[in-house]
Amino acid sequence: MKLLPTVCPACNSQLKAKSLICAHCNTEIQGEYELPVLTRLLPEDQSFILEFIKSSGSLKEMSRLLRLSYPTVRNRLDEIIERLKKTESPKENNGKENL
Amino acid sequence: MNEIVNNIQTVPRRSIGQWLFNPFSFVAGYQALFLGLGIMLISALFGFLGNTHFDGVLDVHKGLEAPLWFFLTEGIIDWIALATPLFFFGLIVSTSSLRMIDVLGTQALARWPYLITAIVMLPEANQRVGVYLVAKFGFAAAPAAINYMDIFIFGFAIIVGIFMAIWMVTLMYKAYTVSCNIKGVRAIVTFIVSLIGAEALSKMLILLLFERL
Repeated sequence: MKLLPTVCPACNSQLKAKSLICAHCNTEIQGEYELPVLTRLLPEDQSFILEFIKSSGSLKEMSRLLRLSYPTVRNRLDEIIERLKKTESPKENNGKENL
Repeated sequence: MNEIVNNIQTVPRRSIGQWLFNPFSFVAGYQALFLGLGIMLISALFGFLGNTHFDGVLDVHKGLEAPLWFFLTEGIIDWIALATPLFFFGLIVSTSSLRMIDVLGTQALARWPYLITAIVMLPEANQRVGVYLVAKFGFAAAPAAINYMDIFIFGFAIIVGIFMAIWMVTLMYKAYTVSCNIKGVRAIVTFIVSLIGAEALSKMLILLLFERL
C-alpha cells in the first residue's frame, strides 16, 4: 500500500487533502481538508502509537513486546508526544475531531 | 513480533556495541538492579581476596585487610552516593515521569566494569609494587623486592583499570540519560556535578566507616 504523503516535496510545507473519493460509487468531494494530526507523524511513530493502543496503553507490555527496557519505551513515547505537540496547530486544537 | 519491531524502525538494534556501551536500552528496573547487586557482591568478594578497595565512586586502591562486609559496604556507598543526586537532578530537569528503580538499577549495573578491575588487581604482585612505590617516593627502604614480572602485572592492571574506569563512567552517563530521559548540555552538566559531589561524599562516608573498623 502506498504511503500517504503529508509534506510537500518541493517546499516541505504541510500538505492538505483536496479531493476525497468513494471507492464504491466514485462520488468525488472537492474541498480543502486538514490531514489528521496522527497521519502527519512519521510512519514508525504511527506504528508505535498503534502498538501502544493495542497494548492498552501499557508501557510495560510495550517493553515486553519490543524487548526494550521500560525507560527506553517511555522515552520513545515522550519523543512522540513532543512531536505531536509541535505538529498540532492552534486550529486543530479547536477541532479535536481530526484526531 | 519481529514485524512489529521492523515497523517501529527506531528501535535500537541488539549489536555488541549497544550491549557494551548502552545495555540500558534493553535492561533496566529490577532486572538491572538484581544483576548489578550480584556483580557488586562478586566484585566485593574479589576485592576482599585481593585487598582491593573501591573507596570512592571512581577510586580503586590496594589497601589494608578488612572483613568482607566492609568491601560490600564500600560498593553500596559508591552506588547510592551517585544514584541519589542523579535521581534528584532527574526530577528537577527531566520532563518525563521517572522511576527510582530505573535510576538505581541502571546505576548498579553500570558499575560492572569494576568487577574486571577487581579481578586484574587480585595478584599479589600489585600489592608488592604498590608498597615498593610508596616506600620509594617516601624515600624509605623498600620492604619488599620486586621483579620484572611484578612490574608487568602491575602495569597491565593499571592500564586495564584506566580503561575500566572510562568505560564505567560512560555506562553511568548512559544509564542516567536513559533512566531520566535527559539529553545534551543539561545531561552533561548535571552528571558532572553529581559525579564530583558523589566522589567527595563517598570518600567521606568510607573514611568514617574505616575509622569504625
